Amino acid sequence: MDVLAQLILNGIMIGSMYAIISVGLTLIFGIVRVVNFAHGEFLMIGMYAVYLLWHHLGLHPYVSALPIVVLLFVIGALTQRLIIQKLLSADEYIQIFATVGMSIALINLALLLFGADLYAVNTPELRAPVPFGGYSLLVGHVVIFVCAILLVAGLHVFLNRTPLGRAIRATAQNRNAALLMGVPVERIYIITFGLGAACVGLASALIVPLYPVTPTIGTYFVLTAFVVVVLGGMRSIYGAFFGAMIIGIVDSLSGYYIAPDLKEVVYFIIFILILIFKPTGLFGFGRGTE
Amino acid sequence: MSAPTASASSRAAASRMAPWSYLTQPRVYMSLLALSLLLIIPALSGSAFIVHIFVTICVFAGLSTAWNIVGGYAGQLSLGHTIFYGIGAYTAALMIQHFGLTPWLGMWGGALVSAAVAVGIGYPCFRLRGPYFALATIAFLEVIRLLATHFHTVTGGSAGLIVPLKLGWAWMIFHDKINYLFIAFGLLLLCLGVSLWVRHSRLGYYLTAVREREDAASAAGINNTRVKLQAVVISAVLTSLIGSFHAMYLTFLEPATMFSLTTAIEIAMYALIGGLGTVAGPLLGTILVVPIAEASRGWLGASASGLHGFVYGSVLVLITLTLPGGLVSTFGRRVGELVDRLPGARPRPEREAPALPHIGGTPGEPILEAENLVMRFGGLMATDNVSVTLRRGEILGIIGPNGAGKTTLFNQISGFLKPTSGVTRIYDDDGRMLTPRAPDEFARVGVGRTFQITQPFGKLTVAENIMIGAMMRHAHLDDARAAALRIARLVGLHDLKDAEAGNLPVSDLKRLEVARTLALEPRILLLDEVMAGQSPSDTNKMVEIIRAIRDTGVTVVAIEHNMQAIMSLSDRIVVLDSGKVIAEGEPSAVVRDPRVIKAYLGEEFVNAQGL
Repeated sequence: MDVLAQLILNGIMIGSMYAIISVGLTLIFGIVRVVNFAHGEFLMIGMYAVYLLWHHLGLHPYVSALPIVVLLFVIGALTQRLIIQKLLSADEYIQIFATVGMSIALINLALLLFGADLYAVNTPELRAPVPFGGYSLLVGHVVIFVCAILLVAGLHVFLNRTPLGRAIRATAQNRNAALLMGVPVERIYIITFGLGAACVGLASALIVPLYPVTPTIGTYFVLTAFVVVVLGGMRSIYGAFFGAMIIGIVDSLSGYYIAPDLKEVVYFIIFILILIFKPTGLFGFGRGTE
Repeated sequence: MSAPTASASSRAAASRMAPWSYLTQPRVYMSLLALSLLLIIPALSGSAFIVHIFVTICVFAGLSTAWNIVGGYAGQLSLGHTIFYGIGAYTAALMIQHFGLTPWLGMWGGALVSAAVAVGIGYPCFRLRGPYFALATIAFLEVIRLLATHFHTVTGGSAGLIVPLKLGWAWMIFHDKINYLFIAFGLLLLCLGVSLWVRHSRLGYYLTAVREREDAASAAGINNTRVKLQAVVISAVLTSLIGSFHAMYLTFLEPATMFSLTTAIEIAMYALIGGLGTVAGPLLGTILVVPIAEASRGWLGASASGLHGFVYGSVLVLITLTLPGGLVSTFGRRVGELVDRLPGARPRPEREAPALPHIGGTPGEPILEAENLVMRFGGLMATDNVSVTLRRGEILGIIGPNGAGKTTLFNQISGFLKPTSGVTRIYDDDGRMLTPRAPDEFARVGVGRTFQITQPFGKLTVAENIMIGAMMRHAHLDDARAAALRIARLVGLHDLKDAEAGNLPVSDLKRLEVARTLALEPRILLLDEVMAGQSPSDTNKMVEIIRAIRDTGVTVVAIEHNMQAIMSLSDRIVVLDSGKVIAEGEPSAVVRDPRVIKAYLGEEFVNAQGL
């Protein structure tokens, strides 16, 4: 039982990491209605930025979180303004190709600039274990867990209690009605895309102490984030949070009980099954909606 | 139900052109000349590097052309197509290793496995749309790649697998690279040939129809899942054959490069750049991008690792922003017109089918019986025990206020909705009873329906739209086109036959909707508000069309809000309100029925009139 409990705890810790990334992806999908295939590369950009600030200026990753969040917000907002905005009325496949193209370009740009080497920051204090009722967690993981909860709570308050948050929700529910009520929909999209990217900025500052940076690190995280988002119902940040926890636990358990290199197979199969058997229920679309 | 008469079909056969006579068409000989450059240039250059670039072009153009059958024609954006490429590669290599089987045979083994996998993946995934389909294909690719890495005793895992090096044509491995080019070029020709054939076959039209409008496609008698599966199997087989060949060319296989997501995206990207859903697009896209990338890789070497990927990604984003239709859609028409000025061009002979013989059966007998149809949506009873009998040769009008359940009734008697309870029976000309289930089965037993909100296949021409319907009854495309032209004339769309349907005004779209349904040669025609939003003159035209249709023996059911038109047109009227039949009978009796007046105008009006 001890092993199982420890594995579940580990799973929740891993899940928190996915939660922060997936909440951002969910915001973009739920409101702008675009699947951002470049989401992982935003994470990669953030992680390189964290590394560079640490390496050149000696900034602790947690200190650089704030400027990185702002940086990613700007990158996300610009992506929406310069690329996605122009494709909103285009066919779906064009939108997919656009974000896929960004993803390929960014991965390879990183490869050009930094090569395929791993870059890691040296923050041993965050890799120290903390005892927790007979089990053991890493400091860095606990911080991520707390941040994930604070992020979801913060977004909840923002979306429900502020005028801007209400405008965002209105836009998500009915774009045209929101437009008629005087909501500047285009600006809302830009802000939302920025916020979604900013979540990844936060994630990158928290993840760098635990995972080294490579050009393809984004792909590693984002494919899992897609699984989480679909599991969580595609539009709900709470769904994304709990979906992330489930995938974290599945990750942890199947890595131990099945085989470390097959854990992704397990959750991709879950993903495929959900897509196939609960597609309408989970996405909130009926068949035949154009 | 009427087969074309013997004399009509023999005349049709005489007007068809022999295959070789197409060689004098400028578009055909220019394409063949251009293609041959893919062999001539590298053969003259004598440089191994140039030959390598051209082999790569042929391989990726072939892959992209094969992908386009699913991604372009069928509009299913697969980002997992390297599954089939990898299966082809591994199967051929393992067959040599374990059984000493030549790759010329092993590649067909791989194709067989790929076809089976394609059905296994396609069947469940084809119900997904847009980004979800793309995500699901990525997930399948990841699963297969991870499994291939995990079972390293079979595949060699991430350490890789080296193809046994036996030289010669039997083993598809050569010293002189030009031999590879011959095979790669042959495979490219095969892919282009298949793609061209699909594009101009019944399957190609059906795929376009399914891509544009799934519902209208099933109403035209198309089994959507089956045609998509046909497309993915053809595409998977071609992809797998190329994968087998490429394995022999690369001689080293590892899961990361064989089942690569990046390669899968590149394949799709070439098709997008050249023009999705066009025959030449994938090849043009590849020719444009691959040499740049390969040359930069060759000349700049490792110092520029990532450069070609950066170029690919940026080009992809730029294309979506500037040329979303790709090269062919943007420039294709102009180039085509220039080529047509070359000698040898001959206009295509057009033929119009003769009118159909009168439909058989005894007038007045039941042809369709709907019995106790109940349709419940949650708490709402959209139809509540509706029973309607349709008699052969009549025009039945269905009226009722908004939300009365008229369209829901149509959806049930055409197979689009499965009733909560109740049955629909259809009788054929000899009085035999039929109980079709799916929409395409209803279409095949002779129930044709139109949609209240018109559902044109926007990117096809008017004639092609009608052809989609006509193909259900005509084995040969020329016959389907001839039948389509006859119907275009009947509904007054003949002058617009080559216009793109997406550009038509509403009144023409309504007539196109009727025309496409008529092309199914239905015995029962269900018309859902075909006069709504029409000008008075258009309404009169439509009334004449419907009368003409009935005169050929077709039984007509029309939902209509235009009272004057429906009253003059119908032999009998059924009135629905709140999901129930509240009145039924001759038009003159129905309009005086107090229940009908109440349903339309309210109780107070009935009282005030002292009815």
